[in-house]
Amino acid sequence: MSIIYVLIPLAVILLALAVWALIWAIKNGQFDDLESHGWSVVLDDDQKPPPISEPTNETDKSEDKQ
Amino acid sequence: MAESARVCFHCGEPVPSNCNLTVEVEEQLQPVCCSGCEAVATLILQSGQSRYYQFRTENALKPAEEDADIGLSWQRYDERHSLWGSPLKNGRYELLLQVEGIRCAACAWLIRSQLESREGIDQVQVDVATGFVRATWQPAKLKMSKIAAMLAGVGYRPHLPLSGAESLGRQQERRDALKRLGVAGLGMMQVMMFAAGLYAGDAMGISEGPERFLQLISLIVTTPVLLYSGKVFYTSAWRSLSHRKIGMDVPVALAISIAFIMSCINFLTGSGHVYFDSVVMFIFFLSLGRYAELVIRHRNLQTGLALARLLPEWAELIRNGKTEKVPASDLRVADQIRVRAGDTFPADGVIIHGSTEADEALLTGESRPVAKHAGDMVIAGSINRTQGVEVEVCKDPDDSTVSVMGRMLLKSQTHRSRYTRLSERYAGWFVAVVLLVAGLTATWWLYHDVAMLFPATLAVLVISCPCALSLATPAAIASSSRALLEEGVLLTRGAALEHMGDIDTIVFDKTGTLTSGSPGIVNTVINPDRPEFTEESALGIAALLEVNSSHPVSRAFADIPVNRDLVSDIVNHEIGVEGRVDGKNYHLGNAAFTDVNVVDFAGGFGRLWLADKTGWVARFDLDDGLRESAIETLASLREKGFDLVILSGDHPQAVASVAQRTGIDNWYAEQSPVMKMNFLESLQEKGKTVLMVGDGINDAPVLSAANVSVTVSGASELANSTADFIVTGKSLKYIEYILTIGNRTRLIIRQNLSWALTYNLLAVPFAAAGLIVPWMAALGMSLSSLLVVLNSGRLAKRKRETNTALQIPLEAQ
Repeated sequence: MSIIYVLIPLAVILLALAVWALIWAIKNGQFDDLESHGWSVVLDDDQKPPPISEPTNETDKSEDKQ
Repeated sequence: MAESARVCFHCGEPVPSNCNLTVEVEEQLQPVCCSGCEAVATLILQSGQSRYYQFRTENALKPAEEDADIGLSWQRYDERHSLWGSPLKNGRYELLLQVEGIRCAACAWLIRSQLESREGIDQVQVDVATGFVRATWQPAKLKMSKIAAMLAGVGYRPHLPLSGAESLGRQQERRDALKRLGVAGLGMMQVMMFAAGLYAGDAMGISEGPERFLQLISLIVTTPVLLYSGKVFYTSAWRSLSHRKIGMDVPVALAISIAFIMSCINFLTGSGHVYFDSVVMFIFFLSLGRYAELVIRHRNLQTGLALARLLPEWAELIRNGKTEKVPASDLRVADQIRVRAGDTFPADGVIIHGSTEADEALLTGESRPVAKHAGDMVIAGSINRTQGVEVEVCKDPDDSTVSVMGRMLLKSQTHRSRYTRLSERYAGWFVAVVLLVAGLTATWWLYHDVAMLFPATLAVLVISCPCALSLATPAAIASSSRALLEEGVLLTRGAALEHMGDIDTIVFDKTGTLTSGSPGIVNTVINPDRPEFTEESALGIAALLEVNSSHPVSRAFADIPVNRDLVSDIVNHEIGVEGRVDGKNYHLGNAAFTDVNVVDFAGGFGRLWLADKTGWVARFDLDDGLRESAIETLASLREKGFDLVILSGDHPQAVASVAQRTGIDNWYAEQSPVMKMNFLESLQEKGKTVLMVGDGINDAPVLSAANVSVTVSGASELANSTADFIVTGKSLKYIEYILTIGNRTRLIIRQNLSWALTYNLLAVPFAAAGLIVPWMAALGMSLSSLLVVLNSGRLAKRKRETNTALQIPLEAQ
């Protein structure tokens, strides 16, 4: 049973690490947005959309089409 | 899908018949309602993000015309470092923007994938609940105005970055609560594990060494949890004690202190049991409840922000004959500003040049635009309808009518919290009794068997823990809140449901609440001398003339199908419109404009006359259209015995007309917000419990003073921020539904409370007699809480049966 004298303090150290990691994550805003990342699994495509150069230009184009 | 032909693909608003714009979605043409929506939808589709439409659960915000050049107006702030956000390493900044129009998770995804694909932006986070976008960006590579333009490009309206502590404070509060919860949770897992060893040791025998060791480790883990996560209970208990009240947190603080201190003593003396597991479990479950409460509270809109959004962020300041754009909050008394047609007045002021009509509907409840000439006062937040004017600011933004109204509102909100704390008062008594019983138990055992003193007292405290009692109400409210949400009703203040059963008087606002707030044609009269015209042809001509008008009256004709090619030479005047239809000249406007020689009087939105060269052709009587199912709902409410009252800021004729159509005898017109408040207070003094239904900014103070308040779809954000229920559907039927759910919730709450009390009455004597050890007490407490939660769950289930019976049409998804 003497193994617990090693394992339990080890567990407590791990616990301290876990608490530190959790607080670090919360401070960095990892828990601020819990919704959109879940959606990105269904929504994201392998083919990334081309970055839009200038939104206002696009607006003009769409109006030209009319 | 029959409806989709008339509904805008992007924003879900009805498409005006005179609009033929479409976008191509998966090789099908879908209608859109305006060029703004068209531009946004085209951009989203072309950039390969069409899945946004597939997965969104709410319609998008209709983009306003001025959004198109939002990037331009932000450009002058590109170099203002204070707006860049908090600096990070490597020339990066963290920008926090409040963005309007974020409604569901698909919005968050759309914004993230738009912004993150851009060079200069590293990381984007979107908080759907609060509408905040947090971006890590590099000002060296990208200008701030570009970020604003990109957001506006996909249909979201960014607001100037807030330096205020208000928004940050909210986020900090949530993070702190989450940290406390996380620490308590992790601590609990560990301590429970050691406790399992200790309990097993009790049952099967354990040598002293490992037992002491496990106890020591439990103590080491429990201490930080108690000091960090448990701190809130001590501060809250102390706060209530310093106000000479016994709050719910007093026995909590007492129980965890006693359990912890006694466990420490037992551990140090090496005799007796330790209860560290009870301490952490207790802290964790209470933190969990607190966190859930906090999240719900944050979902409610914030009054301050809603108020700020009401006013434009920018103003055009005239300085040395030139105009420049400045933030509206920089305006000071005697500044001269220009306000264009269609813009919102940014400050209270006096017109010095020009004349126009101002729409003050949301502020005063008056449904018709008010004529304003040089020398007239204009109010911040009202909309300049017809012509650009120059205004001299006469009040600093903080003293404007709207700001004063906001302060009035905050006052009545704090006032109301006194009503809502009723259940807390019972809790105070309950807690006092528990403490008394615990004290008696301790005293009794002190004289009889000192060894039993601690476990018995602790058992009393734990078993009578107000958990089930404090869960009884929130659990029921959470269930009904879910049920309501499925119907499109948002519950913002749970306590409101408790008061629903007491409601005996329902007060309605008129403009925008009972009525839809936009004009409709109630009657068409053809000049008997002009038989060549029919109602149909006259309406067709009028609709053609109004085809390009932005005057609110033109909306009355928007549903009539027209062929745009038939009309030409349209000239919009201030009081009417003229144009050539099918080769003939027509005038459409009020009696003076169309040279009709009659005494013109009408309620509501008045009358429009159509005339040609020879004289008048037709007359259209306009009035504010009633909301969907208004008449049936009001009739059935009256049948159920509610007193119905109309309280409106509009003219007596307009109110009388609506009162007559809905059959409400009890109506009051020309009520200012203060008068509305006084009226409500006099009702409440008479012992009435009032449900207020409203929508405008002028209703906000009275909404928050009412016992329960409901806003209907299209309500101003300020009104929503004070309402207990926000109805998103257009029908008034939801009011009845809310009342039904309210009654049912009350029933469930009563069942829950009686169970919790019965359980305590039964269990406490056993605990005091020392027959129940603390872990059994903890189990009993949990089971009792579970029962309460399950009972509350019935609210959500039972609803589904009535759902079909009610037949409330849901908004299009």
